[in-house]
Amino acid sequence: MRPFEFIKPDSEASAIELLGKLSPNVRILAGGTDYLVDLKHTADVPKTVMDISRLPELKGIDEVDDGLRIGAGVTHTEIMQNPLIKKYAPAMIHAAHTIGAVQTRNLGTIGGNLVTCVPSMDSGPTLVALDAEVNIVGKDGTRRISLTDLFVGPRKTSLKSNELLTEIIIPKRSLGKPANFYKFGLRKGQALALVNAASSLWIKGGCFKDLRISIGAVAPVVIRCLKAEKYLEGKKIDEKLVKEAGNIAVTEAKPIDDFRASQSYRNDLIAVLVTRTINAAIDLADKD
Amino acid sequence: MDVELIINGEEKTASIPPETTLLKLLREEFYLTGAKTGCDVGDCGACTVLVDGEAVNSCLMLAGQLQGRSVETIEGLANLEDFHPLQKNFEDLGSLQCGFCGPGMILSAKQLLEENPEPTKQEIQDAIAGNLCRCTGYTKIVEAVADAAKEMREEP
Repeated sequence: MRPFEFIKPDSEASAIELLGKLSPNVRILAGGTDYLVDLKHTADVPKTVMDISRLPELKGIDEVDDGLRIGAGVTHTEIMQNPLIKKYAPAMIHAAHTIGAVQTRNLGTIGGNLVTCVPSMDSGPTLVALDAEVNIVGKDGTRRISLTDLFVGPRKTSLKSNELLTEIIIPKRSLGKPANFYKFGLRKGQALALVNAASSLWIKGGCFKDLRISIGAVAPVVIRCLKAEKYLEGKKIDEKLVKEAGNIAVTEAKPIDDFRASQSYRNDLIAVLVTRTINAAIDLADKD
Repeated sequence: MDVELIINGEEKTASIPPETTLLKLLREEFYLTGAKTGCDVGDCGACTVLVDGEAVNSCLMLAGQLQGRSVETIEGLANLEDFHPLQKNFEDLGSLQCGFCGPGMILSAKQLLEENPEPTKQEIQDAIAGNLCRCTGYTKIVEAVADAAKEMREEP
């Protein structure tokens, strides 16, 4: 690795201040499971690396007035073990479990997974399907945006270089919402998703309500399948319709063709995964 | 920069450049060469050590992140009298051939057994999914972890 300066602020406030002062010549290190690999292989080493992995303000998962707050520095292992996540968003536990292996999950953070913004991120689809929002802090204060507005392109977010993603909020209306995540990789451990997907829904009078479908690894960023959602919204639960929604979702994606899988294979996977996640969410839902 | 940390129960200090990884710190400053340099990108698990009891890839941490924290390496497991039950069972079953993955494999298993004294086969496989073995395959490794778990339950 090429030389850089290492700083470790002891509070969120001092991290924001340093970020304002040093940007754009500073990069943020959280879990490091992705960024350390980058640092080893790039010539474009920043002047300063700022470690935020142990900032107390970025830790913790709490119930707040508007929903569930997840600190950006919470690790995937912490998500898997958290009773509030288990109670309100258990699909996140399953999603976290598919990330890397134990070593990766012990270090890697949910905030890091989101801001690294690789299209195959496994934290993305479930959070998108639960209408998650993120809090972003800069020197001029805090702004809250929808998670989908964070994602701009592969490894590109709408974060400014002097801003820090501090919290993920799952809104109150999504807490306990039946949801399911499914990842398809070439192996169970240590594999990138060829396709991943999550769906969430309520059932009201036997009909789909507030259906959300999100897929990853098949477009420049994790996306919502708005057409497929619209197709099912308000309709009576019907296996054939769910299958058709899977086919519609395929038209909303733009998967790549690469050494891991062909485009047409990924398209087939999208239809299957979308169908499966909707059906699994239906199974979890109260049918009144 | 100076880093103070605990390695295998002993307080240590090192003066190192900031770009030093934990793996490099262990191997080149303290000559603890049990943690191996494999892929150096977090795929293979050969560099696995425990930080505050959790298995991590030491190639993916900067030494500066270890200030005040506790690291356990394979060198900390055995004492002059005896091996750790995991080490004993790996040896008894011939779970390793070249041995390169061994330290990481055993430390991943150690975290598992500390959290879950009676793991299922699937839980063992999940715990070592981040440790690649290219010699013997995983069957005897999984068996050794299960045997060690049993032994540790019987004589804690």
